[in-house]
Amino acid sequence: MNIQGLTKRYQGRTVVDGVSFSIPKGKVTSLIGPNGAGKSTVMSMISRLIAQDEGLVELDGTHIGHWKSRELARRLAILTQSNNIQMKLTVRELVAFGRFPYSGSRITAEDAEIIDRAIAYMELEEFQDRFLDELSGGQRQRALIAMVIAQDTEYILLDEPTNNLDIYHATNLMKTVRRLCDELGKTVILVLHEINYAAFYSDYICAFKDGGIAKFGPVHEVITKENLSAIYGVEFEVQTVKGRPLSIYY
Amino acid sequence: MNTAAIRSNRRKLLILAALALICAAGYLLVNTDPANARLFAYSMKIRAPKLAAMAVTAVSIGGASIVFQSVINNTIVTPCLLGMNALYTLIHTAVVFFLGSASVVATNANLAFGVDVVLMGIAATVLYSWIFRMTRHNVLYVLLVGTVLTSFFGSIQTTLTRVMDPNEYDSLLSTLVASFSNINSEILLFAVLLLAGVAFALRRELALLDVLTLGKDQAINLGVDYDRCIRRLLLGVALCIAVATAMVGPISFLGLIIANLSRQLLRTYRHTQLIAGSALFGMAVLVGGQLIVEHVYSYAVPVSVFITVGGGLYFLYLLLARKKV
Repeated sequence: MNIQGLTKRYQGRTVVDGVSFSIPKGKVTSLIGPNGAGKSTVMSMISRLIAQDEGLVELDGTHIGHWKSRELARRLAILTQSNNIQMKLTVRELVAFGRFPYSGSRITAEDAEIIDRAIAYMELEEFQDRFLDELSGGQRQRALIAMVIAQDTEYILLDEPTNNLDIYHATNLMKTVRRLCDELGKTVILVLHEINYAAFYSDYICAFKDGGIAKFGPVHEVITKENLSAIYGVEFEVQTVKGRPLSIYY
Repeated sequence: MNTAAIRSNRRKLLILAALALICAAGYLLVNTDPANARLFAYSMKIRAPKLAAMAVTAVSIGGASIVFQSVINNTIVTPCLLGMNALYTLIHTAVVFFLGSASVVATNANLAFGVDVVLMGIAATVLYSWIFRMTRHNVLYVLLVGTVLTSFFGSIQTTLTRVMDPNEYDSLLSTLVASFSNINSEILLFAVLLLAGVAFALRRELALLDVLTLGKDQAINLGVDYDRCIRRLLLGVALCIAVATAMVGPISFLGLIIANLSRQLLRTYRHTQLIAGSALFGMAVLVGGQLIVEHVYSYAVPVSVFITVGGGLYFLYLLLARKKV
């Protein structure tokens, strides 16, 4: 996925300014940065949830605006933070929606198999007939991820998936992200606030500051004391734990 | 999928359909004497168009309310609460006001309705999709703007009728205050054709309703052309409301009652079932209500009074019940 000169303005204020980078295929890339740096806006633009004012987002050589919306839904899935589903929906029915870009509302036998696998992958079998509003935040998040898995896309975009999750569920979610990449060969792009989750579970980091990219590269090149201090404006210590850079801020 | 739930919902819908049919049969047959053929034919001539008009109203309000609620993703909002039927009344008045009651457009009921429908379709789609966009689908704002618009349209309409020539007003009034006792049955055929046309033209969008209720982001993620879909559905809603208002006049709480009864009874996201349930509830409420009004209260209290009182209470109940959750 190729991003060139992406720009977004809100009422004359530029929130994302000429962002260009390439997302490596089959890897986990995390977008990090302070609040208002533009990472979520970039995420929304590359997933066509909001329109950019300038610039290009190319998926397999074609601008995403030129893709048929339904075709694109088979290649790229996005999970945002705003998921207030009002309907009475069971976990299984939610996951089944992931097959919508393929089969519409008619679920085929093949779809049912894929739905089963997605539910099993997220260990949701015992909850599958429960209604979403009867689940805890962590379980609901897992159900949403299962739906994204059922959508079976090459690209998976997750906007702050660890928000509102406790340490146990957040860590498990990051492990799932890793498995999606390693076992199923997906390209995963995340927006994360937790620098250490980004450092421990991604291959590449893209750090944003003031609507532009401050640093982009493999984890070790980006997560350094100097870089992080410059990006976040607070003091950092970076230590190596299990071969990964662990950052401490105070 | 969850076949047990689907089957139990089908059974509920069948029972509802039977209930609606019983009401319809009761409405047609109570206090008639099939032995007296001429009298019987006379009753049928009066009752059948009324029954048909109520069925059309039930389907259009029931369908429009469910669709509208799913578009805005909130179940206590209905097109009528946001002033759609006030808008229709205004358009209808304005057409007579500017063209005069003697013009072809005003004297031919079907032509008048056609003009109203076209204007309503354009005005409501532009206006409401603009409101949705400006408020970013924030239900509270939409509700607030809608409530203000309702009285705004009402005021303009009252002003127009005040400055109108009394003769013009007189001829306008008979079509303006259509009610269940004074049903505008001239446009019945046109209305049925229009509803069928809307349902056919929107068949693809209606199939997308299930996905739309997951919210805007999810709908786009699953490959729905969101803005276009919403615009077309809103147009359909506006036309349905135009049909219902033209036939029986404004009844604000009917949509709220039947749509929510349907949602409570069926507890599903499947819109084919929800819309069917809502329309059948509409039939039962309207026809059953009218049956009671005509034969128990002998026209002393119009059915819309019952609906407004019952609907108001039900609305309060919905608000309070939701708060607890």
